[in-house]
Amino acid sequence: MDRQDQHGRRSPGRPSDDRHPFGRAPAGAAAGAARPGGVRGRFRLVAAAGAAALTLTAGLATPLNPAPQQAAAADSGKKTLTVAVAQSVDSLSPFLAVRLVSTSINRLMYEYLTDYDPKDAHPVPGLATGWKPSADKLTWTYTIRKNAKWSDGRPVTADDAAWTYTKMMTDQGAATANGSYVSNFKQVTAPSPTKLVITLKKPQSTMEAIDVPIVPRHIWEKVKDFTKFNNDQTFPIVGDGPFVVTDYKADSYVKLKANKTFWRGAPKFDELVFKYYKDNDAAVAALQKGEVSFVQNLTPTQATKLRTTPDIKVNDAPGRRFYALATNPGARAKDGTKFGNGDPSLLDERVRHALFLAIDRKTLIDKVFQGHAVDGEGYIPPRFSTYYWKPSADQAMGYDPAKAAALLDQAGYKKNSAGKRVGKNGKPLNYRILCHATDPQDKAVGKYLKEWYGRLGIGLTVDCLDNVTDPWLAGEYDLAFDGWSVNPDPDFVLSIHTCAALPATPKDTGATDNFICDKKYDDLYAKQLAEYDPAKRADLVKQMESRLYDTGYMNVMAYPNAMEAYRSDQIKSITTMPEKSGNIYGQDGYWSWWSAVPANATGSSGGSGSTGVVIGVVVAVVVLAGAGGFFLLRRRSTADDRE
Amino acid sequence: MTTDTTTTAPPDPAPSAPRSPRALAWQRRRRSVARFWRQYRTHRTGVVGLAALVLFALVALTAPLTIGSDVQSVTEAPGRPMEGPSGQFWFGTDQYGRDLLRLVLWGSRVSLTVGLLAAVLSVAIGALVGITAGHFRGWYATVIMRVTDWFLVMPTLVLAIALATVMSRSLSTIILAIGVTTWPTTARLVRAQTLAVESRPYIERARALGGGHAHIMSRHVLPNVMPLVLAQTTLGISNAILSEATLAFLGLGDPTITSWGGLLQDAREAGAVSSGHWWYLVPPGLAIAAVALAFTLCGRAVESVLNPKLGVAR
Repeated sequence: MDRQDQHGRRSPGRPSDDRHPFGRAPAGAAAGAARPGGVRGRFRLVAAAGAAALTLTAGLATPLNPAPQQAAAADSGKKTLTVAVAQSVDSLSPFLAVRLVSTSINRLMYEYLTDYDPKDAHPVPGLATGWKPSADKLTWTYTIRKNAKWSDGRPVTADDAAWTYTKMMTDQGAATANGSYVSNFKQVTAPSPTKLVITLKKPQSTMEAIDVPIVPRHIWEKVKDFTKFNNDQTFPIVGDGPFVVTDYKADSYVKLKANKTFWRGAPKFDELVFKYYKDNDAAVAALQKGEVSFVQNLTPTQATKLRTTPDIKVNDAPGRRFYALATNPGARAKDGTKFGNGDPSLLDERVRHALFLAIDRKTLIDKVFQGHAVDGEGYIPPRFSTYYWKPSADQAMGYDPAKAAALLDQAGYKKNSAGKRVGKNGKPLNYRILCHATDPQDKAVGKYLKEWYGRLGIGLTVDCLDNVTDPWLAGEYDLAFDGWSVNPDPDFVLSIHTCAALPATPKDTGATDNFICDKKYDDLYAKQLAEYDPAKRADLVKQMESRLYDTGYMNVMAYPNAMEAYRSDQIKSITTMPEKSGNIYGQDGYWSWWSAVPANATGSSGGSGSTGVVIGVVVAVVVLAGAGGFFLLRRRSTADDRE
Repeated sequence: MTTDTTTTAPPDPAPSAPRSPRALAWQRRRRSVARFWRQYRTHRTGVVGLAALVLFALVALTAPLTIGSDVQSVTEAPGRPMEGPSGQFWFGTDQYGRDLLRLVLWGSRVSLTVGLLAAVLSVAIGALVGITAGHFRGWYATVIMRVTDWFLVMPTLVLAIALATVMSRSLSTIILAIGVTTWPTTARLVRAQTLAVESRPYIERARALGGGHAHIMSRHVLPNVMPLVLAQTTLGISNAILSEATLAFLGLGDPTITSWGGLLQDAREAGAVSSGHWWYLVPPGLAIAAVALAFTLCGRAVESVLNPKLGVAR
């Protein structure tokens, strides 16, 4: 469970993986020069100079690489759509997968009961053609479509759906990822192949949008341990979505082929490949050369450059993600055991507010996001207008370092002679902030926070780790960069802050995001879940957001835009969600890849890297000439000594 | 240098005036330093390297006065993000709007510090292991040299990456990671030299007069392997600087510290490579190359002055 990664937090990953060409060049260079002994010095000089030249040109290695390939024009006229991804698949099993890349692939593999409309995200028929609640809204009857088939030819029936839900209700292991949807189910039955009946314990407002993939019973019945089965043993994986997974290699690729018998209509591309680029800049270079058709999570600089590149279309749309500063509320388990080592001063609400008041969000959006983000306030991004909430004027916490200082003084953390805030126990305030080493955004914001907090008299250690999950789950952090993609139905992102989501014991893993357990919030959560009236429910959700804002546990700093680019000479058209200024990658549905239309012409691409080539060659020549000159000089001056 | 040159040294110019042994020793040292410098001067490339090093050292040492530590501040960055070179910012700006020219100059402090300390650490470990292994022989030498061999065949960079990953991200981690992975070659060289020195008759004499292990190692062996150690250090620095840049470039450095490798890493993360912002990449790259080259040139010159095997008379 990689919660903070869950919906794409880690997707802008740029890790230091040495599989990547940029990583390798300087590594090899240093290794070449790092073996001084035994080699004669003269050779060493050249080696060092050569290594230096390599280090230099490494940065320009991409444009130097000739032989562009065309991904779309694959063999035998097959139309292939290649998508560059950076996030690792946690599991292909829909019962375990929580990361954005995996849940997106699950969407393509398995049809859900209902889908979200790409235009305005209202629930539309998926596997169910219609649904009807009983008068007390505790019994829901779904009609399952007749024309859906598993990719091995068997028909999809209500029994498959009933089995999937029942499994999640009865097997704790199967409830790992999406358990919150079925925890309120009393019973699920399939009286006929086209009829599914769900009875509830209490009313549940998410019944029209149960985001749970339905799996084929005849395949999954054989699975013994759902916590261990990752669904990557036999290929192709039997499914009923628009694509069928044909091959998967961890951190290398996921290959899917079009499901020609998909009930909504076959996808236009024959093949869809998710290809791993651990380095975002390498992915962009691959896009420029036409090796991949689609890249996401661009930096502002990359987007600006790609905008002027021919045959490439940049999609810069409001995102469905929030980017927040989480404060450790004192990690604890459901059984009451406290664990972790969050700073006790964070238990004071005034301190948490001071930390948020010291953040100049305008600067962050202006500099770090360079305008490609919206100022963060409430928990749910403005794109979901039904649930979007803004703090009132007297509630809002804008940039106010003076007020932050006053709050800290009030809380008993006064500045000492060295300008450090000191608590009553005489210890200066020093926080650690968990940051994803693979995420440049975290690092950049960390730099700003360090300076702002420094002025306030608070020390900040930016802990950038490749694996943030372990300290996070153990509660061993003070502050953390957090972010989630929000679904049109916000139930899930709200549920992760309830007491019910806490781990059962310190050893267990709960669905909780930040160990928040607040009575007021929980009451509101239960109310909204049971509220069928959309307006009333939206009001309750807003009250929850207000409560969350006031607690200061989750301080939303920004709603980053989705920054994506695709080759218009490979993809003629693609559906964004929402249709007007929406994102392509990580949609609430399979619309983008299902709707993508291949372009016929596979025009040549090139020239984009020509300046890079020129610069690279010039630099390499200059450095090598310099090294050669020294070498010759040396030879001449030591000519007498040489035997 | 403090070698056993008493026998070959020119006769004392004033034998009539009695001098203390201390004064004699100092005179001898002064003279050998002068001789070293005379010979060093004949190596043109060595002088070029030394001049470059002095320049870099001056830049690094005076940086707090000429540049000021506020250059690293992101909240007080003077420019817009990712500006191109201009009259105000000669090398353009980075993604925070900071002046790249001043950042590159500031980065020399970290690169030089890490290079020097890591090389000293590496050579110190190597010299200690080499001298003890050469002196004690027997099972101790066998064990310690097998350990050395093990480190020797381990890919240095991989080991350094592993170390830098498991330890907290800080400058000392990087220094330690480079230092503890690059010592085996020094250890091997020093051990060979120790064996040669210890076979000389005067060591036997010293032992017969009651010199203990510590006395022989520190008073007789160490001064004799010192030239080798010195040359090794100078050459090691350039490797250490390259390693530091590599580790920082791979994102294993302390992200809050400005170093040349870190600048290259920042450039990559900002997408400067695919966007063709060469002014962000070339200056730190050239700086790394220049400093590494300068240290190598100096090391070469020192080596050829001090190492009799390279055919230079002493």
